[in-house]
Amino acid sequence: MESVMTVQETALVYLLSYCGAIGLILLGIFAMTMYQHLIRIILGLMLLEAGVNLFLITVGFRANAVAPILVEAQTSAAMVDPIPQALVLTAIVIGVGVQALALALVIKTYKAYGTLDTKELAQKIAEESGTHVIDDIPVSLPVPVPSTRQMVEEKSA
Amino acid sequence: MNLRDISGLIFIIGLGLLLGAVLKTLAYDNILTGAVGTAILNNAATEVGTANIVTSVLLAYRGLDTLGELTVLFVAATAAGLVLGQRRPEAVHDPDAGFILRSAADLLSPFLILVGIYIILHGHLTPGGGFQGGAILAAAFFVPILASPASPFNHKVSSLVEGLAGAAFIIIGLIALFDKGYFLAPLLGTGEVGQLFSAGSLPLLYLAVGLKVGAELAGLLARLHETEASD
Amino acid sequence: MNGIWLVALPLLGAFLLPIVYRQHTIVGYWTGPFILLINFAIALGLWHGIANGPQIIAMGGFSAPLGIIFYVDKLALLFVIAVVLGTLVLWLGKERGKVQEETLLLLIVAGGCGLALSGDLFNIYVFYEIVALASYGLAASKGSGAGYGASLRFLILGALGSSLLLLGIALIYAVTGTLNLAHLAELAPQMLNGSTGLVAFALILIGLGVKAEVFPVNTWVPEVYATAPARVSALLGGIVSKLALLVVLRLLVLIYDDTSAYLLLLNLGVLGVLTGELAALRATDLRQVLAYSSIGQLGLVAIAFSIPGSAGVIAGIALALHHALVKPALFMLTPAWGGHLKRLVGAAQVSMPGALLFLVLALSLIGIPPLPGFWAKFLLVTGALGTTENVAWYQMAIAVVLIATVIKTAYFMRIARLMFQGQSREKPVSAPHSRELAPALTLVGLLLVSVLTVGPISKSLEAVASEASDRKAYIKNTLPVWDKSFPALSVK
Repeated sequence: MESVMTVQETALVYLLSYCGAIGLILLGIFAMTMYQHLIRIILGLMLLEAGVNLFLITVGFRANAVAPILVEAQTSAAMVDPIPQALVLTAIVIGVGVQALALALVIKTYKAYGTLDTKELAQKIAEESGTHVIDDIPVSLPVPVPSTRQMVEEKSA
Repeated sequence: MNLRDISGLIFIIGLGLLLGAVLKTLAYDNILTGAVGTAILNNAATEVGTANIVTSVLLAYRGLDTLGELTVLFVAATAAGLVLGQRRPEAVHDPDAGFILRSAADLLSPFLILVGIYIILHGHLTPGGGFQGGAILAAAFFVPILASPASPFNHKVSSLVEGLAGAAFIIIGLIALFDKGYFLAPLLGTGEVGQLFSAGSLPLLYLAVGLKVGAELAGLLARLHETEASD
Repeated sequence: MNGIWLVALPLLGAFLLPIVYRQHTIVGYWTGPFILLINFAIALGLWHGIANGPQIIAMGGFSAPLGIIFYVDKLALLFVIAVVLGTLVLWLGKERGKVQEETLLLLIVAGGCGLALSGDLFNIYVFYEIVALASYGLAASKGSGAGYGASLRFLILGALGSSLLLLGIALIYAVTGTLNLAHLAELAPQMLNGSTGLVAFALILIGLGVKAEVFPVNTWVPEVYATAPARVSALLGGIVSKLALLVVLRLLVLIYDDTSAYLLLLNLGVLGVLTGELAALRATDLRQVLAYSSIGQLGLVAIAFSIPGSAGVIAGIALALHHALVKPALFMLTPAWGGHLKRLVGAAQVSMPGALLFLVLALSLIGIPPLPGFWAKFLLVTGALGTTENVAWYQMAIAVVLIATVIKTAYFMRIARLMFQGQSREKPVSAPHSRELAPALTLVGLLLVSVLTVGPISKSLEAVASEASDRKAYIKNTLPVWDKSFPALSVK
């Protein structure tokens, strides 16, 4: 180990990394709640997951330590905490699964309604089920209006 | 600005303030916070016998998490299959990517398979392992599809491999249950740390993980790709 | 018998089910119920096996703080039995040949059992994700456009929640350096009962709250339950949602004892009850009425769990089990009775058994005395009256519960009146299909059996609750060799 990190440097690494993680988390949530485009929302989800993973890996950080792999079966230097590394690997794989399923659902939703805009989508879904949307909250119409889609489904069934 | 945007903003600002306040209470010093982590660093070589201690955590100390992780991927693949449905045979394919890419993809995939298997089998010694190697294996089978979209992907084989590999992981765990009394306990001794044939049953578990992840990711990508092409 | 079978068996079945189906469709169709039956038998066997104390299973033979453990106590087993039995009942009269749906159902059972049994925080997250992803898939399984849209919204909210859950777990690990619940319980008084620990709890509560239909993150509920197949709504609303609250209860009892975390859950529960019941009053589709009413019911469970000590635990379990019997049965009646409530006019003439079933279930949900719903609410009110700290908060909660009961009576009686009115001029609704009536009848049968056996049930629930609320016993059972000199257990 040629260069040794001082206490101040270590604290700075922690601080920068934690701040980066929290920044990513907040950015991701911002994208998920503010944007109306489904793909952007999923990108926001990816940012959020990246932020949480960065947070988790920072927890296991240790100054002047090496990756937890035994070289020549010797415990040579200090090693970082192996548990967060394993947890992050698990969390990344879980994230991949969630994203894949989200994209599959986006594809099907787009096929059904021809739009990726959440507002238009809510409007179209509400029209289909005989409700209309006021300020994002579906409100039932007094009398249900069967949509053409439902009638086609009933005929084919 | 509607109600949803405002509540979203309030949530983000509140969360930011909370996390900022928490930031001050976290540790910034040199000491390893994870006491459990320290114990694992000290014990892993003798108890489990992997040179890569992260592998010990993944497959021995927290083996159930890894089984759960495999299951999550399997759930995602099954649910995506349920949502996307079967491909219609008359669907039109994307155009072929041309001779250069097709030949390169054909040349690349055997090497990718080789590298993937190498990374899986050395997961207990070096950085890497079942998940990383499995992702490379999936790429080996998906790259040719990217180069020539009309080339077939055999979903039957991929689902057979993923089912059997997943079952193999659980069965190894159950053998340990009968043999040692604990589910997913390491079997076959630890061997000499750092050798290819060491760490007992862990490389076998990683092989199952690698095959399952490879088959699952390839199947998932192929299914998403097919759906995109079918309209 | 080892409790790991409860998780390993359905997982093995789910992995192999597509292969079995390809070989033989009939064998494939019966694989799922067969595995669930075996699981049910194992759970019953374990119930007798742990009469003298919980079973602790160390995965891989690594003892408590280093490895993952399963803590098989009566509370966990009760919920395991509810999940297994509930899925089994909902399998009755299921359509054949839906291999992917059946796989997902088995996976939900495996994940749910793991969620109830696990004694490790990150492991709980993994099982929670299994359950969550399987429910997104099942919610979209009807194949309608609205179903995809609702499932996508569910997924986005759920993924946001589970990321925050993971962040909360990461915070707890950053502070304590351990993930084992018993180890955390031991460390909590010094390390987690401050502001950082409470922030972590709030994050975890948001994450688990998506499944548990806790107040601010339950916007997916009406959409999903109105568009998903009735069996899926029954499973998600009736059974799976309670598992998330079970985890919250564990955390409260073990880690956040003596903190204001109880009040946080209490207030979210009160808000859930109020918003759920008021929205149910306004809803015009039977499925949405039931969805909102399930938000209200889970709010009641949350209020019960927020009462410290075993009185709250027993009330919560009683409410949760009662709801797990009633709500799936109600959902099973809805496929024929969907659409606007006005279509229900004259439903009793079309199908008298269906209407009578609805009436019995609604009366129990409201809490009319001989039916079990009354006893559950009675336990809740007496439990809340018995609190010694923050009495004003709990009195407010009692008032809200009583008001909510009045609202619930109003909307259920309105629906019942519509059903028993004369023939409607419009096209009347069709009678519920026997496929759907079979699970509903089974559940009502169980409900009526529980009316006759209120005494023994309450006695065994008391035993469950007193064991579950004993924090010291949990630590002692999990960390039997408490050696301060062992490096893993001594904190810097």
